[in-house]
Amino acid sequence: MNIIVTIKQVPDPDIPPIHFKVDEAAGKVVPPPGVAPVMNGYDANALEAALKLKEAHGGRVTAITLGGQEARDTLKRAVAMGADAAVLIDDPNLREGDSFTTATALARAIEKVGEYDLILCGRQASDTDAGQVPLGLGEILGLPTISPVIAIESTNGGVKAHRMIEDGQQVIEAQLPAVMAVSSEIGEPRYPPLRGIMMAGRTQIPVWTAADLGLDDGSAAPKVQLRRLYIESREQACELVDGDTPEEIAAALAQKLREAKLI
Amino acid sequence: MLNYFDVELSDEERLVQRTTRDWIDAEAMPLIAECFEAGQFPAQLIPRLAELGLLGASLPKYGAGLPYSCYGLICQELERCDTGLRSFVSVQSSLCMYPIYTFGTEEQKERYLPKMVRGELIACFGLTEPDHGSDPSSMETRVEPDGDGWVLNGTKMWITNGTIADLAIIWARSPDGIRGFAVETDTPGFSAREVHHKLSLRASVTAELHFQDVRLPGSAILPGTTGLGSALKCLNEARFGIAWGTVGAAMACFESALEYSKIRPQFGKPIAGFQLTQLKLADMLTAITQGQLLALQLGRLKDSGRLRPVQVSVAKRANSMMALEVARTARTILGGNGISLEHPIFRHMVNLETVITYEGTHEIHSLVIGQDLTGLAAYS
Repeated sequence: MNIIVTIKQVPDPDIPPIHFKVDEAAGKVVPPPGVAPVMNGYDANALEAALKLKEAHGGRVTAITLGGQEARDTLKRAVAMGADAAVLIDDPNLREGDSFTTATALARAIEKVGEYDLILCGRQASDTDAGQVPLGLGEILGLPTISPVIAIESTNGGVKAHRMIEDGQQVIEAQLPAVMAVSSEIGEPRYPPLRGIMMAGRTQIPVWTAADLGLDDGSAAPKVQLRRLYIESREQACELVDGDTPEEIAAALAQKLREAKLI
Repeated sequence: MLNYFDVELSDEERLVQRTTRDWIDAEAMPLIAECFEAGQFPAQLIPRLAELGLLGASLPKYGAGLPYSCYGLICQELERCDTGLRSFVSVQSSLCMYPIYTFGTEEQKERYLPKMVRGELIACFGLTEPDHGSDPSSMETRVEPDGDGWVLNGTKMWITNGTIADLAIIWARSPDGIRGFAVETDTPGFSAREVHHKLSLRASVTAELHFQDVRLPGSAILPGTTGLGSALKCLNEARFGIAWGTVGAAMACFESALEYSKIRPQFGKPIAGFQLTQLKLADMLTAITQGQLLALQLGRLKDSGRLRPVQVSVAKRANSMMALEVARTARTILGGNGISLEHPIFRHMVNLETVITYEGTHEIHSLVIGQDLTGLAAYS
């Protein structure tokens, strides 16, 4: 089973909130100094799922990312974990795009990679939390798309996905090829073994531009217009509810919550 | 990673450092204080260390064959958790796999190295004796030829991994000088006793080894060993790891103290806002950065084959004392809280008291450097 995993490099979500800054004028997130970006968590889950399917059924795993040269680190991590190949899409015109731009560029790159049975994505990226790209990929490529997926089984000629829904799980069978957006329940990603890191060091990662993907005509131009990027200010206030007995305190608390229209 | 001077690492180095750190943070950090308090080595981590390839990481063919700079970064991250963890990996990799690979026969390599990489065979290194620490050339442990084999008698002291080892690399005086032997620890006459009541390296196994007429096969000798110099080569490998590891311990202490200083109010403001605290932070940052740059250059020299043993002495000596001083300073920022195991500093501090002593004491390394500078030996 040949699998393509789409991966995004994101700012480390573990940085303290105080280090998260945006440049309002430029409408951009300011990368925190001295903190290396990381592989998006759900994408790491998707890669782990792909590697497990490859171990069980054979095939080839290819990781693709859209990003700058610094995104090579994330692709090398993917190869070190066990991906067979990696592709970097790097073009200044694509980097400033939206989910549509990303989905279009990834779709073209996936077509260029060629043979594939399954496309695995993370359900959403921790920087924007949009979750649009997997669905966009399915739309552009005309493939069945399932999200969010917490388990994948290979069936005879197809695939069975366990999809998380509000009150349980839905089991969906799909023909291949298909797109699946994977959630963390699918399993913790492995650490890249050092032997894998050595291999990754020797792996050539091709770089594809918009022109290589036939997108230099502006057809991947963003559909979303960013009006304003800012960090919402938060105010915290603490009020101690007083009373002589626990019952009185509870009654006073209930009254206040009612006044605040919280209950 | 604390990287105030934007130290440039290769893609490979960054990935190795990051992977080791992520694993340490997830699986080793949560255990370590409890292990230290209980006086136990976290042996449950051995299979994971092996799975990640952290045992014998720089060994060609058997290990991942990583550049030494990567091995150094691994040591840094391991010791950022605890010196005991780094010591385990140093002993297994530098003190035991290295001599088998360098001085052993093909048969010995095939018999031991694959299992050592997989963590299925644990080894220890026996050079120091109860009465001979800095002066190993006076060792009393002896091997005598006996038929087609050898008979080993003697005692070794302060042996990391001693009671959990399946194999011991033992240095003993033979009729033709000091030689190294691969001694399987289930050989009759071999016994190991754990050293208790330690106030340092509590998350590490330390033992005394005793050999009573231990009958060794002729194949136990590491044929490439040609005297004490062979043992010292192994130590030099391990000291390389110490020069890096201590930077990790210092980083852990600094980061703990920095965070604490920002949230600890006294006299109405965080203590980070006082000049004396800032002076301590600035001094620690400077010392760690110097140590980091020294370790990095040490790695670059080793990877390019230009490293002189005395340069390892300089770096081991400088960085272990640097880390100890950083730990002591960091402890003062935490005040009374600094002595608690809830913070990593005091644990690192007492560990580092061992580190300035083992693998060549601070004083002996001073003499190694002194001899290199003056041409005059001042050991006796």
